[in-house]
This record gives sequence, C-alpha cells and structure tokens, in this order.
Amino acid sequence: MALKTKGMFLVGLLIALLALVAAGCGGSDGGGAPEALPSSSCTAIEYEGDGDPDYLVVSDLPLQGASRTQTIQIANAIRYELKKANFKAGDYNIGYQSCDDATAQAGKWDSGKCSQNANAYAANDKVIGIIGTFNSGCAGIIIPVVNQAPDGGIAMVSPANTYVCLTQGGPGCDTTEPDKYYPSGTRNYARVVANDAYQGGADAEFAKSIGVKNVYILNDKEAYGLGVATNFRGAAESLGIKIAGFEAWDPKASSYEALFGKVKASGADAVFLGGLIDENGAQVIKDKVAVLGPNTGVKLLTPDGFALQGTIDDAGPASAGMYMSVAGQPIDQFTGEAKDFATNFAKDFNGGKQIDPYAIYGAQAAQVMLTAIGASDGSRADVIKQVFATKVEEGLLGSFAFSANGDPQEASGAVTAIVIYKATDKLETVKVISPNQATVDAALGK
Amino acid sequence: MNGIFTKLREASVSDLIGLALVGLVVVWLVVNFVKDPTAFVNTGLIGLTNGTIFGIVALGYTLVYGILQLINFAHGDVFALSGLVASTVIVSILGLDEGASVMFIIGGLVVTLLVIMVGFALFNASIERVAYKPLRKAPRLAPLITAIGVSFIVQNIGLAVYGVNYRTVPNFIPRTDVISIGDISYSWSKASVLIIVIPLLVVLSWFVRSTKQGKAMRAVAQDTEASAMMGIDVNRTISVTFLLAGALAGAAGVIYLLQFNMRYDTGFELGLIAFTAAVLGGIGNLTGAVLGALIIGFVQAFNEGLGWLAPGSDWTRTMVFGILILILVFRPEGILGEQTPEGA
Amino acid sequence: MTNLGTRARSAVGNRNAVAVVVLVVLALIYPTIVESLSSLPLIGDFVPSTDSMVVMVVFSTMAIGLNMVVGYAGLLDLGYVAFYAVGAYTAGWFASQQFDQWSFQFGSVGVGASVPGIHISMWVVLLVAGLLTMVAGILIGLPTLRLRGDYLAIVTLGFGEIVPQFVRNADNVGGFDLTHGTFGISPIDSLGFGAIGAAIGLPESFRQSSQRAEWYFWIAVLILLITVFCSVRLRDSRLGRAWIAIREDETAAAAMGIPLMRTKTWAYAIGAFFGGVAGAFYASFKGGAFPADFYFNISVFLLCMVILGGIGSVWGVLLGGMILGYLNVEGLATIGSKIQQSGIPKLDGFDPTKYQFGIYGIIIVLMMLFRPTGLIPERRHKIEMAEGVHDTPFYDAQHEGTLTDRDSSDD
Repeated sequence: MALKTKGMFLVGLLIALLALVAAGCGGSDGGGAPEALPSSSCTAIEYEGDGDPDYLVVSDLPLQGASRTQTIQIANAIRYELKKANFKAGDYNIGYQSCDDATAQAGKWDSGKCSQNANAYAANDKVIGIIGTFNSGCAGIIIPVVNQAPDGGIAMVSPANTYVCLTQGGPGCDTTEPDKYYPSGTRNYARVVANDAYQGGADAEFAKSIGVKNVYILNDKEAYGLGVATNFRGAAESLGIKIAGFEAWDPKASSYEALFGKVKASGADAVFLGGLIDENGAQVIKDKVAVLGPNTGVKLLTPDGFALQGTIDDAGPASAGMYMSVAGQPIDQFTGEAKDFATNFAKDFNGGKQIDPYAIYGAQAAQVMLTAIGASDGSRADVIKQVFATKVEEGLLGSFAFSANGDPQEASGAVTAIVIYKATDKLETVKVISPNQATVDAALGK
Repeated sequence: MNGIFTKLREASVSDLIGLALVGLVVVWLVVNFVKDPTAFVNTGLIGLTNGTIFGIVALGYTLVYGILQLINFAHGDVFALSGLVASTVIVSILGLDEGASVMFIIGGLVVTLLVIMVGFALFNASIERVAYKPLRKAPRLAPLITAIGVSFIVQNIGLAVYGVNYRTVPNFIPRTDVISIGDISYSWSKASVLIIVIPLLVVLSWFVRSTKQGKAMRAVAQDTEASAMMGIDVNRTISVTFLLAGALAGAAGVIYLLQFNMRYDTGFELGLIAFTAAVLGGIGNLTGAVLGALIIGFVQAFNEGLGWLAPGSDWTRTMVFGILILILVFRPEGILGEQTPEGA
Repeated sequence: MTNLGTRARSAVGNRNAVAVVVLVVLALIYPTIVESLSSLPLIGDFVPSTDSMVVMVVFSTMAIGLNMVVGYAGLLDLGYVAFYAVGAYTAGWFASQQFDQWSFQFGSVGVGASVPGIHISMWVVLLVAGLLTMVAGILIGLPTLRLRGDYLAIVTLGFGEIVPQFVRNADNVGGFDLTHGTFGISPIDSLGFGAIGAAIGLPESFRQSSQRAEWYFWIAVLILLITVFCSVRLRDSRLGRAWIAIREDETAAAAMGIPLMRTKTWAYAIGAFFGGVAGAFYASFKGGAFPADFYFNISVFLLCMVILGGIGSVWGVLLGGMILGYLNVEGLATIGSKIQQSGIPKLDGFDPTKYQFGIYGIIIVLMMLFRPTGLIPERRHKIEMAEGVHDTPFYDAQHEGTLTDRDSSDD
C-alpha cells in the first residue's frame, strides 16, 4: 500500500511537470496593465480613471486589531485624494492598492507580514510610491528593503511614524541608526508628522503645566512605545520633573495591579504610558485606576497610541480624565483646506461621523506622494527626489518642507503642533502645544 | 547537629541545588518585606487573588490528568471561551450594568455562573466524546496531539464569534475595601473571587471524597482495569470528570471576566500558567493544584510588584516556565506528588 | 522477509532517485514558468509566486528536521520554534550591524566596507547557525530528555515560550545589547556569490539583484535536498534504527544495549541543526529576526505538517509541509479573495486567513482520528499504529510510578 501510494505520487508529479512545461511554452504577454500585488496582503487594484494605470501607489497599514478604526480612515483618505485627482498624478494614471501589515491572530502589525509586503513592493516595478507605515516598528523593516529596490529605491511617505531614529540619529538612538535603514546611502523616506521628540516634549510641558512633580513612565518596549517614553523622559527631566520609575509592561499579562502597586509605593503623582491601546492598554488603564485611584488624582498621560475613541470604549469609566496627545490641530478646530477636507471626507467616507485625527495625515501624505509623482519623470529615483523637493503651502497640515532627513521643517501650522485631549465620553480638546525647541532638544537627549 | 549532616550527605546534588534556590527566594522575600511591609502585603493579596483564579483552572488539568494521564491542552481555551460567552450573557442577554440594583446584579451573576458552568460542562464532555474517546487505545502521544488541535479549534471559535479585540464587562463589584489597615487594603472585588471559589472547592472536595461517583473517579485514577473489573463504568466516570473540569473552567471564566479583560487567546497563556501550577503541586493531586496555583500567583505578583531586585513583568513568563522546567527536572512528582493515588 | 525488505528498499531507493530528479528539474524551471502558470485560466490565481515558494520550502525543511525528532525518535517536541529562533538570531549576530562596537568582515556580500558590525559570509553563517543550534539542542536536551513523553512535550513547550521572551528582553544583559529587544535585528545580510560569482555572471548579492526570489528559491531547494538526503540516510543508519527502536519500545531498546540518553540527544541535536540552518536562511531572506516571529503557533504549525504528511515519512512530511506552507503564505488568502469575489452574501467578509490556526487544528484532529499515519504513511509507523507499540497506553493499569525513566538504563 505504501509503495503504491508512493508510485502514484511520482506519476502525479511527472504529469504535473509535463503540464507545467507545456504551459511554459505558451509564453507570457508583457506590457499593459500593471501586475497586482499579492491578494494575500492587498486589495485588488483600485482604479477608476481612463485606460490602465501606469503606476501603482500602495498604502501599508495594519488593517486589523484595535488600530483599524484609525488605519481604515487613512486608507479612505488616500482613496478620497485619488478620486479628487481623478486617479492621475500629472500625466500618469495611478492605481491604488491598500496592503495590510497586520495578522488577524495578533491583531496588530506583524514583522513577517511587513517584510513580505516590502519584498513584494520592491519586486513589482510598477510600484512607484508607498504611503505608510502606521507603526514605526514596521517602518524599520520596510524602509531598508525598499531602499535597495531596483531602479533606485521606492519613495515612502508616512502619515503616522513618529519614532525619532527612523530619520535622525542622536543620543537616544543606536549608533547605526538611522543609517542602517538606508543601506543604499540614499534617503527614500519622509513623514508628514512631527517625530516623538515633539510629542514627548509637548507631553512633558503639559505635565509641568498641570503640576506634575514625579512621574512613573511605563512602556511596551516596541519601537514606538519605548521611543516616545524615552523622549518624554528626556523632556520631563529637563523641566525639573522627577522620574519615579521607567519600566515595561508585558502586553500578554492578565493583570497589572502588582505593577501599579509598585508605582504607588514610588509616590508618583502621574503615570505616562508609552505604547499602543492594542497592547492590552485597556487593562493597564483599568488597573491604574483600581490601584492609584481616578485620573483626577494621580494623572494619566498617554501619547497618540491611545488617542482614539476605542480607548474610551474599551477602558470604560476608567478612562475618564486621562490625557491623550496627538500631533496636529484639534479635529474640531480645523480651518481652510483642512476644514473642507474634514467636512467632505466625513460625508463621503465616514457616514457623516467626526473623522479620526489620522485621516488628515493620510490625505496629506497622499497629496505629497501624488504631487511628487506628477512632477517626476516616472522613474522611482526621480519620485524620491521630488518627494524631498516638495513644499506644502497652506496645505491640510499648514506649511512645511522636508529636511534632508525626511522630517517636516520650516513648518508653520498643524504639523508641529501637538493637541492634548482629555477623555470624557469622547476626545475633548484641552490645549494645543507647540513645544519649545529647548524641550524638543532635551527629548532627543541633546 | 549530626543528624543534619547525615541528612545533607544523603541528599543528592539536585536536592541541594533545589534547596539553595528556595533559600535565595526566602531571603529575597524577607528583605522586601522589611523594606516596605505595606507594599509587600498588598502585593501578596494580589497574588492570592490571581493564584485562586489559576487554581480553579489548574484543578481542571489535574482532574483530567489524574484519570486519563492526558494533558488536556484545550482546557485553557475552554476557560477563555466560557468567559467570552459569559460576557454575552451578562451584557447582551441579561443587560446588567453598574446602575442596576444590588439584588439584580447578584442574581444575574449567579444565574450567569450557573448557566456557564452547566453549558461548558456539557461542552467539555462532548469534546471528550468526539476527540479523545476514539483514541483510548492509541499511543499516548496521539490524544495529546489531538488536544492541541482541539485547543486551536476552540480558540478560533472565540476568534470567529468575538473577534480580536478584548471583551469586558462593567465593574459590578465595587473596589471599596472590605478591610483596610493603614495603606493595606483588601477590596470587595478581590474578596469576591474567594467568595465564589471557596464554596466551589468545598463542593468539589465533598463530591470527590463522599459521593459514589467521586469514589469511582478515584478508583479509576488509581487503577483503571481493576476498577472496570469491579463493575465501575469507566467511560461514564471519564465523562463525569470532563463534566466537572468543564464546570470549573466555566466558573473560572466568569470569575476572570469580572476581574480582567479577555480575548480569544487569553486561555492559552493562562492555561499554560495553570498547567504549570498543577505540575508544581503534583499533577493528579487536587490539593496540590490549588497550592501550586497559589505559589505561582505569589511568584507572579511579587515579581511584578516588589521594589527590590524583582526582575519585573517582562520576565514573568520566563520565571513561570523556568519553574516548570526546574520542577520537572528536579522533582517531577511535584510538591505534594507522593500523596497522589497513582504516585509511587 | 529480509529478502522482501531489501527488495522493497531498493525499489524505494530507485523511486527516491526519480523523485529527486523530478524535484530538481521542477525547481530549476519553476521561476521561469511561474508567470505563464499564473496566467492560466481557473487555476492561475492559485499558483504560488516564487517568493511564496521560498517560504514554503523553508518551512518544509524545518518540518523535516522536526520529523527526525518526532517521527524517528518519537520525542514530541512542542518548542521547535526555539531552534528556528536560535538559527535566526545567529544570522543576526554574525551577519548584520547588531554588534556595531566591532567591525569585522569576512566574505560578506552587499555590505559597504565602512559598515560597522560583524559581517561573515552568509554561507558560513548558515553552517555556524546549524552548529550553534545543535549545541542549544544538546543543552536543552540533556536535562530534559529523561522525562517521559508528554512531560518532555511540556518542557520543550516551556523552552519554546522562554526563548522568545528572552530575545525580547535581552537588549540589556548586564548592559550588553544581545538581541536588540522588540526591534529585532535588521537588516541581516543577503546571500550571494560575491565578487568571484559576479565575474562569471552570477549575482554578487541576491537582494540587490533582479533575481532575488529566484536565487533564494534555488538555494532553499538545495538546502531542502540536503536535509532530505541526510534524513533518509540517517533513518537507515545504525543511529536511525536505534531511534526507531526507542520509539517502539524504550525498555526493550535499553535492554538491547542502546544508550537511551545519547541516542535521544542525538535525535534532538540533529533535528535542531536543520531547524537552525533553515532559521538562519529564512532570516537572511526576510532580512531580519524579530522576537514576535517565534511563538508557539509556529511550533504547532510545523507539527501539523509532520502529522498531515505522515509521522516519520520524509516524503510525506515534505508533501505536508508544501501543502500547509502554501495555505499559510498564499492559499488561504487566495481562497478568501475568491470567496469575496464570488459575492455570496452570507460569506461576505469571511477571511479564512483569520482562522488559519483553527483550520490547522481541524486538520490535526481529523488526521489523528481518521488517518493517524498521514497522507504518505511510513511503513513501520503504519504497522506500529495497527499493532500498537509497547508504549504506555492511553489509560494504563500499572503506572510506572515515577514520571521519569531515570532508573532505566543510561549511559
């Protein structure tokens, strides 16, 4: 029986081989419409213009898990901008694919997925621009791969990565950062969001303004969470706030009461959480309140990883009074182009509901990318050049240009401002802070 | 004095290493207690609460292992699924919220507890019927591998129905203190765990010791063939064991849900911890499972909550599994191992 | 009987040779025909890309390594992912910028001369990774292999859980950054033929060539073939027969003079070796090693390949590995998108990739219940399944008393 099965297996293999060779003789027809990226990660090509798209723009975002509420809006904002531009960038027809870097099991970004996506982008010569990523850890994987992609690397514009060391080195970074992300020696990555030195600085200035004297800093050890926690520590120390402790929380633990017992014993009057709501954040917030009391007493400060409606929904009453910060203008105080965008986008894509702060960053990133492609000669290398040459005047996020590192500079308006929200039953704007340069430098460890 | 030396000489190297490790832990605990007694006691109370929850899950592992020598991998996932279903019962079906009257809340929770316990007892027993029973005569690794498969299936039922996000219920049980001495406090929400678990343990112990079915279970655990010859229905006894284990998993699910957030994979992590607890106490031994679970609960809480030389929550899992490996290598019969019916 | 066995074996040998030739030819031409294949009607969308094939082959290699532990020696290892991790991190240590305090280059490709860190030729690193993982296997095995079957499974699972947490936390071991924490080690160097290869028209560094996936695929197949070869040869060797003897009846094997501990440790070490090589290769292909890659599900995924294919059967495990590997990297997603396009309203939003481990769970349970010998059963294992082995049965009248066999013979 065993032999028979084996024999059948071999015969099957041979038949398969013959079929393959026969099919191989058929040859392939090159040219024409671009080949789509694999459906295991990406949507089918979305294109509503004339003829076939010349190039593909992809977005790389975690579309599963708690961040989904934000990332789906970023993807929709890109769709909105493409529709507005009639799927054209200059003379080129642009198709769009939305790729997912999260797995359903993890409910958050996955390194294997990121690397797989990156290699798929690099291998597809029609992919001319990447909008993403959402998580800095994933960016650290994708940038070096697409940096070495054939034809000079692929341009990448992130609407959300705030980890400092992706673009610039400094005392808080490894000595090999950021150069290790750019093995070809040419920069191909820019972001339309201020890095965490601004957010950490703003959070520290805000903490000082509400009378925090002694803060306990927790982080999730991921690139983003640890990064922003480190920036906050630097800035807080420079403002004379004492650091009661700096420690990690394990997202897989069931309870953090013991951890907060330690915080209580340290006598801290505020807790800072560097991390994401996806990392069991709701339980962290609940246990904070259970052990240290309501957020009106011992304050709870969080960065943009927590700044979404989902935090309030998941953590329930325990979230009341916690502070969350996000880069940009308050969603209820937009002016000019941003206001039009918010109104129209909410109507077309969000069922009239208030948009997420990140939608506008997605739209800005898409605009930068489309403008750069339109101005380029159609080669990957030139698109990168054009991205870095972009100057945004009175755009969705105010006015800014990109530094040689790829960070926004010469900025005015939303791009360097940080909004502090307070959680009630929704996000309530408390204050808009543009941190002092001295605080930002301190956050960077300078 | 001489006696001690003789004893020491008789002890093997591994015993000495084990003793040295225990000694170090004791020193560490004493120093921490002296440095900050309040934090120490508060942390200990957290460990007691968590340990109790681990214990009730660990009992499920130990019951099944005692009878079948099967590590029922799926047990942790049955526990997690029961908690998720309980969240539906509490929030969507009964519609309980914090504003409801005290009687209504207590009544609702008791009803939930009973419904979930019965439901998951049946669920667990049907898993045994479908997946394990056909493999009674197979090599012993076969059912273990099957149990891993079942574990993934149960986990994915949770994923399919409840998605990847954490589920939670309102805080029904107030965080107000039962007792507080200085800064030491013991809240009702912690006390509620003991209030539910202790009666369960009493009933379980009575069942196993005093009822006919319980005696049958112990007999089968001791010697399956002999008990079959004495007229005990072995299949029925195994079914009853899985019913009991399922009911305990259901109870643990409800208790856990009232304290913490849960999602589909909560059971995997907690199941491994509970299993470690069962092995630590001496697998197959009911008292041992609870004792082991309390120890693991304290280890976890002290590691995360103490100020002096505690590795912190990053290392909790490493410590728990480290304990598992050390126990299996140095003292595979567990702390109370010798008292198990099937022990040496 | 002996005669029949020899004849059967030589027949199998011939068939093996044919199979190898077929496989090699298939592998050589696959990247060139994959494009025309995927334009075929109906099945075209289901044809895996060369990139996916690399992942499938790598996981099949690991499954064959695991098969030596589980299939040959009958030691249930639920922590095989730990070996994958050791292999991947070895690649990180010796072929990336992780240790930038030192600068050392030896035969590395695609790395600028001024780039800091240890960069040893990836070819050497593959071997080093295998050897280091082997050492890790021995270290884990020595204290634990005395344990009885299911206890061994749990201890290996424990190691499988500890290793990822260790690499996650070991960014500060007494101030020394060993693993770079959750950031992982990236980028890891590429494989390549270097300047010598470039002189004869081969790519200097795969990652920078336009044929990255193709070359990685061909090398993956080469590693797979070596693994299969070693696996088959080992099975028929003295050591392999000792493993099978232990699997079938440990006490009798010991009585016949087989040193239990040494034989088991070898199974563990050799299985680990291939896990390490495959892990290092995969890390180079992905360009990084991250702690989140090494979780329990991967161990079960590999075990599922072994069970589906046939415990102990090399060709079976290869088949199981390719099937499940395909489902994992592409198949389920493709099926999912087909379901979406089919427009059946009830299935709208159904994504099979979400339930991949549930699907593997179902495969495991069904296989154990209805075809425990796998798709391509191994002859001996089949007999064992039919006739039973002198293993401690599922429920047993006389317990051995202690959970270990430390009292049975040891070397």
